[in-house]
Amino acid sequence: MKLSCLQENLSRGLGIVGRAVATRTTLPITNNVLLATDGGRLKLSATNLEIAITCWIGAKVEEEGTTTVPARLLTDLVSSLPNERMDLSQPLRSHTIHLACGRNEAKITGQAAADFPPIPTIGEGVAIPVGGDALHTAIDQVAFAAATDESRPVLTGVQASFEGSTVTLAAADGFRLSVHKLALDQPVAEKVAVIIPARSLQELNRLLDGQEEPVQVTVNAARSQALFKLKNAEMVSQLVQGTFPNYGQLIPQSSQSRAVVNRAEFLRATKAAAIFARDGSGIIRLQVTPAGELGPGKLAVSARAEELGENLGELDAAVTGEAGKIAFNAKYLTEVLSVLDSEQVALETTSPTSPGVIRPVGVDNFVHVVMPMFVQW
Amino acid sequence: MGYNRPMPIRILAPLEAARIAAGEVVERPASVVKELLENALDAGARHIGVESQGGGSALILVADDGGGIAPDEVELAFARHATSKIASLSDLESATTLGFRGEALPSIAAVAEVELLTRTPGQEAGAFVRVHYGQVVERGRRACPPGTRVTVGRLFARLPARRKFLKTPGTENSHISQVVSRYSLAFPDVKFSLSLEGRRAFESPGSGSLREAALKVYGYETAQALLEVKAEAAEGQPLKIWGLVSPPSRARPRREAHFFVNRRWVQSRLLARAVEEAYLGLLVSGQYPLSILHLELPPAEVDVNIHPAKREVRFLQEQAVFAAAQRAVRAVLMQMSPLPQVRPLPRLEQAPTLALPLEPARPGSLAASPPPARRLPILRVLGQLASAYIIAEGPDGMYLIDQHAAHERVRYEDIKAQRRDGKPEVQGLLAPVTMELTPSEAALLGEHETTLAEHGFELEPFGPGSHLLRALPALLAGQDPAQALRAVLADLAEGKGKDIGETLAVSLACHGAVAAGQALTLEEMRELVRRLEEAEEPRHCPHGRPTMVHLSAAQLEREFGRR
Repeated sequence: MKLSCLQENLSRGLGIVGRAVATRTTLPITNNVLLATDGGRLKLSATNLEIAITCWIGAKVEEEGTTTVPARLLTDLVSSLPNERMDLSQPLRSHTIHLACGRNEAKITGQAAADFPPIPTIGEGVAIPVGGDALHTAIDQVAFAAATDESRPVLTGVQASFEGSTVTLAAADGFRLSVHKLALDQPVAEKVAVIIPARSLQELNRLLDGQEEPVQVTVNAARSQALFKLKNAEMVSQLVQGTFPNYGQLIPQSSQSRAVVNRAEFLRATKAAAIFARDGSGIIRLQVTPAGELGPGKLAVSARAEELGENLGELDAAVTGEAGKIAFNAKYLTEVLSVLDSEQVALETTSPTSPGVIRPVGVDNFVHVVMPMFVQW
Repeated sequence: MGYNRPMPIRILAPLEAARIAAGEVVERPASVVKELLENALDAGARHIGVESQGGGSALILVADDGGGIAPDEVELAFARHATSKIASLSDLESATTLGFRGEALPSIAAVAEVELLTRTPGQEAGAFVRVHYGQVVERGRRACPPGTRVTVGRLFARLPARRKFLKTPGTENSHISQVVSRYSLAFPDVKFSLSLEGRRAFESPGSGSLREAALKVYGYETAQALLEVKAEAAEGQPLKIWGLVSPPSRARPRREAHFFVNRRWVQSRLLARAVEEAYLGLLVSGQYPLSILHLELPPAEVDVNIHPAKREVRFLQEQAVFAAAQRAVRAVLMQMSPLPQVRPLPRLEQAPTLALPLEPARPGSLAASPPPARRLPILRVLGQLASAYIIAEGPDGMYLIDQHAAHERVRYEDIKAQRRDGKPEVQGLLAPVTMELTPSEAALLGEHETTLAEHGFELEPFGPGSHLLRALPALLAGQDPAQALRAVLADLAEGKGKDIGETLAVSLACHGAVAAGQALTLEEMRELVRRLEEAEEPRHCPHGRPTMVHLSAAQLEREFGRR
């Protein structure tokens, strides 16, 4: 192998695949990054066996070849070198790569590429294009609601179901549910529903940062792996096997009380109250008061700690329906308000013990259902 | 069936009757020692010597320097129900002596060869009598020091059935030595010495200090570490409690509780439970405290005559005694449970290793410094070690905090606070979870339904063998609800017989606490440490394991040779 590339490009590429490098592993070679010449480019791959990330950078290839080297070492080295041309070479039948950049020369001992776990490729299946920005938002708004507890594998994933011209992402951890609908540029031929680990999607979101071009999503025939193809990179993720709960029935169809408030203010009030809620289980109490003779409608956000004191924040609210009260876990409320980007949100409640619903106002692509905490009022 | 022809009913000969009755009082050599010790103590002895040969079967000798028996009463002492200690049944209520029934000597004399040599201070020569299996075979006067000396030989020699049940001399001797050490704890002001098979086995100082007596029984390290319990009698509460209990860090794998009611050693489930309850939340399951507790109360408040060997007593006001004992022990535990400290490294001339031997400090090294205050000082979090421990700096050196134990403690106190306020924090479930329960799980659920509901589990029956779980304690939010309930049920099954609310609180605190191996952000660690600083009992997790070890600035200086 013999090639040259720019330090800047190699450093960026290593940063991208670095996310997939295994950290704690029983297979030491997965601590390495795979380097391979691929046409006129240099291909970098890494895998932790749950996901694999590959990216390509521009290079001038003089001699084809492939090898693996410790990812951390190479990344640290490259990032400390000047932004100049970099020459990589590997003598035949040797696992040592020579790396020259400016007046710096390094030798790194690697391992044979043949020992590296194969990076899955998905040849079959139809690639579905999904807008990069839109997917990024959808993942942000859904993945956080997945369970972190591994005992229910299905709930650690996000269900992606492609049907007609929409893909619906949904995640639930037993206490809350986040559903985001996303328009597809072209309808899919057949309905496909898979469960993608939330962790994989969060990695995908890092790759998606700043990419507007559509992502090509392909699911293999066995429904065991999904491929996300970006501009200069791709990610393959294992899929979670199992049946995702039928969540449609969990979304309340009506409500007794609906309050529309400014999202940023609601979030600020929640965070202020959360300071008092952090001892114990983080109870945030919400009280909705309709407009009346005494003034406009309002939403009161409060929390109290037995020994510390209490906090009450009020915001103006456009209330339809009756007065309402409900208590939520501060963490759940903060998280959903943080991922929304609409200016206003609606809080829909029916009773202190039935699920509360939070929707963005102005767009109809997202709904979040959160189960209240049962408290004494 | 070949049953023998029924025998006619007859009254037993007095000797036969005595031998059979003796069985109740004299079970084994150790019970002979017990009865003779009690006589000696009742006679006001300051020094009692005990000897045993052949496991007590060949010879038991108990010599005291007490008041002795007047010569004309010596033979009477061997008559059943002859006693100098009470005159009528009504005296029993105020009996302060250990014995009172007048059964000991006659019972022993009925099954062995007994020699009694005694002299009261007023007499010039001692009185001597030898009784073989209930018959006086020799009497006379001999020179002897004041006091009483009883020699019991060939115990059970004529009762082969009883002999058969005796264990090896070693075992019988260990029972004897247990009896003697027990009395040394009951009477720290009396000097006891014991020799077994001709060798000095035990000697108590007789200095009046219970700790010094305990030192001879349990050794230096344990005795030094024991915490002093003291609760004075008060108005309306005539009970005085004093003694020693082990700090949680010195718990033992077996129950080891000595209770003395008006100096009488008794077995009491009531008191044992009171002590164990005082340690609730401080001990790991399967560990028990060591306790030596004296209870002093007016004789009328306690009935000692309910067991032939007087091993059990009944309190007039059981609840009050229970509560007083539990409170007295708990108070001392709360006050001074010392924080385990990092033991200084032994000074070796070799390259230092990285591993710090983290063990609770030896009490000896602690003795110089006063026990640290109960609450924690403000700590500054420095980082995490091995994804399991938080390293923090305090005003006096370094603290290593076990993140799981610390989180358990914080959660446990939250639960206790919620329970005190009667306000469990409950998190609803988006969709009810159907739980298929095993019969034993279902039984537990039925049994503890109310307690579970009080803590926030909302369950309803859903066909045979299944239940719907609709909500769970907010502290468990984020976990698999079904698994969490199962884990709690398993803990309840294990904690059978203990305070159910307490078991549940410990269980809820444990499940869902951060585990060892979980990486924490600095913010999370700060928050955890902040909560721990506010905890009432920050130094132990509810199972009783320490939450932290402390390496003081002085220790650090010593270790680095700066001082």
